[in-house]
Amino acid sequence: MNDKLLLVKKLSSGYGDRIVLQDISFSLQPGQMMGIIGANGSGKSTLLKTVANLLPRLSGTVKIMGEEIRTFSPKQLAQKMAYLPQDMSIPFDFSVRNIVATGRYPYHGWWHGETNEDEKIIEQALCYMGIEDLAQRSIAALSGGQCQRVFLARILAQQSPVLLLDEPTAGLDICYQEELLRLCQGLCRRGKAVLLVLHELNLAARFCSQLILVGRGGLLGTGTPDSIMTEENLTRAYGMSIKCVKNSTTNHWDIYTEGANDCE
Amino acid sequence: MNRKNTAKIWLVAFLFLLFSVAASLCWGQMKIAPEKVAAFFCRIWNLPFLFDVPITEKEQAVIWYLRLPRTLVGLLVGAGLGTAGAVLQGIFANPLVGPGIIGISSGAALGAVIAICLGYAALYPLSLPAFAFGGAILTVAAIIFLAFNRGRIETVQLLLSGVVISIFLGAVASAILTNASEQQVQQYLFWTVGGLDYRRWIHVEIGFFPIALSLMLAFLLSRQLNVLVLGEVNARAIGMRVGLYRVLFLAIASLLTASSVCISGNIGFVGLVVPHMVRLLAGPDHRSLLPLSAILGAAFLVLCDAVGRVILPNAEIRVGIMTAFIGTPYFLYLLKNSRKKSEV
Repeated sequence: MNDKLLLVKKLSSGYGDRIVLQDISFSLQPGQMMGIIGANGSGKSTLLKTVANLLPRLSGTVKIMGEEIRTFSPKQLAQKMAYLPQDMSIPFDFSVRNIVATGRYPYHGWWHGETNEDEKIIEQALCYMGIEDLAQRSIAALSGGQCQRVFLARILAQQSPVLLLDEPTAGLDICYQEELLRLCQGLCRRGKAVLLVLHELNLAARFCSQLILVGRGGLLGTGTPDSIMTEENLTRAYGMSIKCVKNSTTNHWDIYTEGANDCE
Repeated sequence: MNRKNTAKIWLVAFLFLLFSVAASLCWGQMKIAPEKVAAFFCRIWNLPFLFDVPITEKEQAVIWYLRLPRTLVGLLVGAGLGTAGAVLQGIFANPLVGPGIIGISSGAALGAVIAICLGYAALYPLSLPAFAFGGAILTVAAIIFLAFNRGRIETVQLLLSGVVISIFLGAVASAILTNASEQQVQQYLFWTVGGLDYRRWIHVEIGFFPIALSLMLAFLLSRQLNVLVLGEVNARAIGMRVGLYRVLFLAIASLLTASSVCISGNIGFVGLVVPHMVRLLAGPDHRSLLPLSAILGAAFLVLCDAVGRVILPNAEIRVGIMTAFIGTPYFLYLLKNSRKKSEV
């Protein structure tokens, strides 16, 4: 039990009276990178937000380091779990450093500002993401890929052992997508656990150590990419015939669709 | 914005404030030389300087009873409206929001109309600010109540209910004014334009504590506004109690606006444009944006008032008109410049 950073048991979530997902159970250990995959509208982001305590939970438990997350204050929870939303539009012309510095918020009382230690942690986060030269630049002047690095640096500055990322690769080109997922793998090697929503099945199978497949209002499967990436699983989840082929040269999964809605 | 530039902006802001205060004390129907004003303060504070500068009784009376309270009210109102605007723009994450938009000003205006039409304003001069203050606070309370939903305050709902209540209160005020006497309508119009004329020490006393207290609280909490501005989901994800801080900041902005409006009437331009100007000059970090909006709002309002006193011979242009006349071209210049910069 103690090696589980995050434990989700019989979780049901939704909006108001509408249940989107029910009976979801999985666990996450240090060093694991777990991808949530499924069709559009299957409840991937809803699941992530419910785990992050940003949406009300209908039933079930979510424990972090063995303790129910509802017992933590908002700041205590943010010290243990960081969440990166899908839409990170910043309204004003904040500098990169300003954005990353907000990651230190959970460690401060309302009355005091950044300490020398905070400064050091912010610098380290900027360096890890390779954006130390952009620190004084305006966030509005950066490309999509650079922005995602800034937001990941903010999450890193939060120093939480569990990271929840909602479609961090959305809108990025293939190079930035792979680079970002490699950065996440690097974080896992440093002992963090990453739970992320991904749309790209090829990338999910390649970079994640575990996958959760959601659809039809619940969990369709959880396990290693090799056990989840089956034609039967994906066809059930996406409602269309999907072929999965392991490329013998690259040893990666190649995924193809075969016609529309012809399976069920 | 690097530290060197920030220091430069602070220095310029303080110099601008000093110049505005000096101008406000020296300029007017009776021109008083700066060294006479300096000598006056040396005598008040028993400082061993400028004994040889002659200063008449009349000049002393003008400075003490007219110019000084007027300048202090201008400083309080300018600082209050500038900071309230910056806080509201932060809460709504929108640079187009000003103290007028969420109904605070129209609540104050309705309070003023009631005080005028019931005849209290003519009988008890302090009833006008009291009614204006009450109207503003009640309006904000109603707007917060309407936007409150299951422990959360939605900014869109807050904004919409503010706009709708503003229109409604404007209609109520107009309906009351339709049946008011010509003199009462004129009194209301005079109040609506907003001005610092006839401000006395009593107005300084009324405005000082609520405005100074709210300013201090706003500056202390400015770091929280940097988090709140990132949006509800982001702010909650890093451990902020978003609903609590939204209400707290709304209360601060309301208190600042209501206290300002009640001692000076409606002055519309400062709260909307000064924070925007400061953001273009010094960046959006609220730790510097709030105090700089206070300093530059105060300096700008006091200078506009001083210029309004001397621009026409034997007549005075009220500060509510001057702020728009001076501020609009400068703001448009800044906006155009910033667009050019971002294109580069």
